[in-house]
Amino acid sequence: MALDYRKCAEEIAANIGGGSNIISAAHCATRLRLVIADNSKVNKAALENVDGVKGMFESNGQLQLIIGTGTVNKVYDEFLAVTGASAASKADVKAAAASRMPLWKKILKTPGDVFVPILPAIVASGLMMGLVEAIPKFWPAFGSSDWYSFLDLVANTAFALLPVLVAISSARVFGGNIFLGAVIGLMMVHPALINAWTVGNYGPGEIPVWHLFFFNVQQVGYQGHVIPVILAVLLMSTVEKWLHKHVPEMIDLFVTPLCTVLVTAFVTFTVIGPIFSVFESWVLVGAEKLVSVGYGIGAAIMGAIYPWTVVMGLHHMYNVIEAGMISNTGVNFWMPIASAANFAQFGACLAVALKVKNQKTKSVALPSSLSASLGITEPAIFGINFRFMKPFICGMVGGAAGALFASWMHGTDAAGEVVKFGATTYGVTGIPGIPAVNNVPMYLVELLIASGIAFALTWIIWKEDEPEKKAAAPAEAPAAPMPSVVRCAAGELLQPVAGKVIAREDIPDETFATGILGDGIGVEPTSGTVVAPFDGTVTSVFDTKHAVTLEKDGMEVLIHIGVNTVNMNGDGFTAFVAEGDEVKAGQKLLGFDSKKIKAAGYSDCVVMLLTNAEDMEGVECGLK
Amino acid sequence: MKSFDYIITDPVGIHARPAGILVKEVKNYKDSVVTLTRGDKTVNLLKLMALMQLGVKQGDTVTVSVEGGDEAAVCAALETFFKENL
Repeated sequence: MALDYRKCAEEIAANIGGGSNIISAAHCATRLRLVIADNSKVNKAALENVDGVKGMFESNGQLQLIIGTGTVNKVYDEFLAVTGASAASKADVKAAAASRMPLWKKILKTPGDVFVPILPAIVASGLMMGLVEAIPKFWPAFGSSDWYSFLDLVANTAFALLPVLVAISSARVFGGNIFLGAVIGLMMVHPALINAWTVGNYGPGEIPVWHLFFFNVQQVGYQGHVIPVILAVLLMSTVEKWLHKHVPEMIDLFVTPLCTVLVTAFVTFTVIGPIFSVFESWVLVGAEKLVSVGYGIGAAIMGAIYPWTVVMGLHHMYNVIEAGMISNTGVNFWMPIASAANFAQFGACLAVALKVKNQKTKSVALPSSLSASLGITEPAIFGINFRFMKPFICGMVGGAAGALFASWMHGTDAAGEVVKFGATTYGVTGIPGIPAVNNVPMYLVELLIASGIAFALTWIIWKEDEPEKKAAAPAEAPAAPMPSVVRCAAGELLQPVAGKVIAREDIPDETFATGILGDGIGVEPTSGTVVAPFDGTVTSVFDTKHAVTLEKDGMEVLIHIGVNTVNMNGDGFTAFVAEGDEVKAGQKLLGFDSKKIKAAGYSDCVVMLLTNAEDMEGVECGLK
Repeated sequence: MKSFDYIITDPVGIHARPAGILVKEVKNYKDSVVTLTRGDKTVNLLKLMALMQLGVKQGDTVTVSVEGGDEAAVCAALETFFKENL
């Protein structure tokens, strides 16, 4: 039965003296970590009996409640809501999980990590924005109504102030204080700065400048930017963590936030921002050249790299190019390229949505693709395509094909004048762009080409990654369930590895045989896989991967592979689980190589002991 | 409360077997509460699982504290035990 998170959180809160007794609350992969003001108000016995709390211990002033993977975060959220405690992130836990990844993967993963939590805001805004922009195309009067201006405001809030959301989310990803992160984000779109969306209207020299040391800082905001915001918050989190470590605790509370914000703000506006702006203008000049290169090759390339510029947060600058085109030629021939690129991402995302089996991914992919068809591709790109990479690349191919087609549609009119295929406006792509283009049938064909190719390629090339190991593991359990080898009042332990069961007294090691470590059995293994003896929790996996401890209903179990194998220092052993994992009976825990153990001169006898057998009633060992 | 610090010399640290004999030894002193602290974590030395989960390694400094019973004698006996076994 699913755990009632709310109830669990409420019961925990009630047994620790309520919200006012909490100094801080954080959680790691499995535990709720609380710092309590007055420990005498904590009812430990009752806490352990709360449904959902699997264990509890205290360490260095922290009260840690073991809740379990995938559950603890939900209980934590409810707990914060119930108690009003402030969130504290467990940065090192995340860092530890991420540290195993190669650098390039970490870099690619970051935008996704940042965007996934803010997707609800972006999807809501993206869909609404697409619709609000589309309606006036069919019904022009709507465009001047109060409803339009109201809905437009509601719809574009998340986009206009996107750096704030990005900054908050980045702060969580990088383990910085989320409120300081919010300050950095807000600062980058401060109303006193010139809005980045309108900066194209200013001539050179018209933009006010700050002279800070030897830096000349243009007073321009970072609306629509993503990467400089992420970089700024990365810097902020790094500075903050460094200061927390090095500033004496007494003055940490005010010195650290002050210095963090000051340093980050300065570096953001003087270095991170400007470098990025230069980079951005290069892209712009390059892009303008690109689309004018002959035979549509340039357009095709642009169609392909367009989504990359969305990833980098550069795409809003195209408004400047598009505005320039309209004022020069009356036709925005950039728009069909952008549209092809965007609609191809829609196609790729839709393919993922239809193909994926993971319900969570599906529930993100479907609305994201819908939003992309309306020209708002960020949810599709960051939430799906860019995360899985292959759909993103398939989308690039589709975009290139669509853009190539579009570039061939430039024709001549009856008078022999060149008529470029394009739109009369800018800022709309995909379906809302239909009323804006000067050749609707060709536009539809173009969209069909772009999305069709992207869809087909994604459908063929992209495969859903294997479900997590944990989910797959139970399926690999031996067909025949293991027999019961240890029984007591609290439950039974199943044989942990295939082989001949021997009595504890016959284990070829005095410590185990005499029962110092508890009562149980030995197995002379015929397989190299140790499996869980019950549905329970892994309480520890030895660094040397030759032993594991588990817990269930008060039964504490040690499974130890071989005798003296600690000396092998992990060589020949594999761990399939980690501390805190919930396991099912028969699920793989450890793997070992009997040959290596024997070659090292040790017995490979697998020992399973109920270490607290003394506290248990009716302990009975051996096969029935 | 009496306590002593000890640097673990056993190359494999307080692993399953050493943990077992240590807990067995501590069980001899029923009147005292004996705890072992390594870094910021403290465990009751009657709790085998907790001790093993601590994963004490060679070179780690641990603090053993004795409270209740004949503190001085128990503390001395345990210090000798650590030197001989760990």
